[in-house]
Amino acid sequence: MTKTLNNMKRKITWTRWLMVMPLLIAGCYPQGPETAADTDVVITSYNSSYNFKSKGTFAIPDKVVKITGNAATGDPPVYVPTVLGNAMIAQMTKNMVALGYTKVDISASPDLILVPSAMETTTVTYWYDYWGWYWGSYYPGWGYPWYPYPGYVSSYTIGTLVMLLVDPTKTGGDGSPVSQWAGAAQGVLTSSYDVNRINKVIDQAFTQSPYLKK
Amino acid sequence: MKKLLIIISILCFVVPVASAQNSLTAFEYSVGFGMGDLNSFISKPSFRGFTLEYRKFVQPNMSLGFEAGWNVFYDAKGNDTYTFGNTSINGNQYRYQNEMPILLTANYYLSPGEKFNPFAGFGMGTMYTRRNTDMGVYSIEEQAWHFAIRPEVGFLYQLRPDLSAFVALKYYNGFSAGDLKQTQSYLSLNVGLAFTK
Repeated sequence: MTKTLNNMKRKITWTRWLMVMPLLIAGCYPQGPETAADTDVVITSYNSSYNFKSKGTFAIPDKVVKITGNAATGDPPVYVPTVLGNAMIAQMTKNMVALGYTKVDISASPDLILVPSAMETTTVTYWYDYWGWYWGSYYPGWGYPWYPYPGYVSSYTIGTLVMLLVDPTKTGGDGSPVSQWAGAAQGVLTSSYDVNRINKVIDQAFTQSPYLKK
Repeated sequence: MKKLLIIISILCFVVPVASAQNSLTAFEYSVGFGMGDLNSFISKPSFRGFTLEYRKFVQPNMSLGFEAGWNVFYDAKGNDTYTFGNTSINGNQYRYQNEMPILLTANYYLSPGEKFNPFAGFGMGTMYTRRNTDMGVYSIEEQAWHFAIRPEVGFLYQLRPDLSAFVALKYYNGFSAGDLKQTQSYLSLNVGLAFTK
């Protein structure tokens, strides 16, 4: 009898070990990014046969278009809030000037046009513990008050800033200008806009493009 | 491979158990050290890992069994720029590599019945690898189910008649498979408790 009880006790101990194991794995799994800024990624690409050194002037719009899809349906374009848009344009201009370009008005036939745009996409994630919902209560020995609960829902919004350098004299097959350089910065957005964070990714896009320097 | 499986089956069912010690179940904490291609990807050791083992004694000095384990290797590479042709990507890169071996094992014991009982063994089976390279909200994932072998040396130190301390050094080698074109290997130092009956 004592032996049977000991065996049962041992089995329960092992079973508990096995049940605790997934929690241990989940608990000690490396977490990766800790802040929203840790998710920032800057990608740049350029036309390697284009001679940037021979260009001297550039123009830039005074607003940053927010891509929402409504322009495609004929609605007027939406812009990034003025304060934020102005800060972005000022930082882009500062970088272009530092590279040796001169800012001119669009009417002065600039060699290059820097076209900024931004967009936001929200992803919703949800999770339901259906297993616990249906069968959890059949295992009282688990020592945890299993009861039905609805799981959780969370969401995150990703912001993307796109900068295109266009030569108005170079057009593609459909007659539209082709970008000679593209810079995109993307990261998870927080509840408030962080100008320093935005300036940092704009600077990074130009820093990692040394071929733009005159 | 087929012959080995037949031999293991015969040993499991035909060879009589002639030992006071019938079986052993071990729970082990595992520290992994990446080697070769894995070390090139993540050079930091893995302090996150465990192994579960069951061994059935077919002779006082020989056991057959199986083991399953898990180790995750991780490295946060910090901010850096990676250039491919005319495209450059900058950001924090996070690297993960999960290794999950599932093996049949055979072990030989030098001092059965003694308090200090060294052993050497060999394992063979499969090893699942999942390698993730994360940047921003993107992840490049590579997976493979390798054919794997695993030699080991270690010892049992008896604490009670039914409980021993367990220490082993294991070398896992998963041959090229799936998305991973190179052998994935690591050395692991396992420390744990072995329940015997």
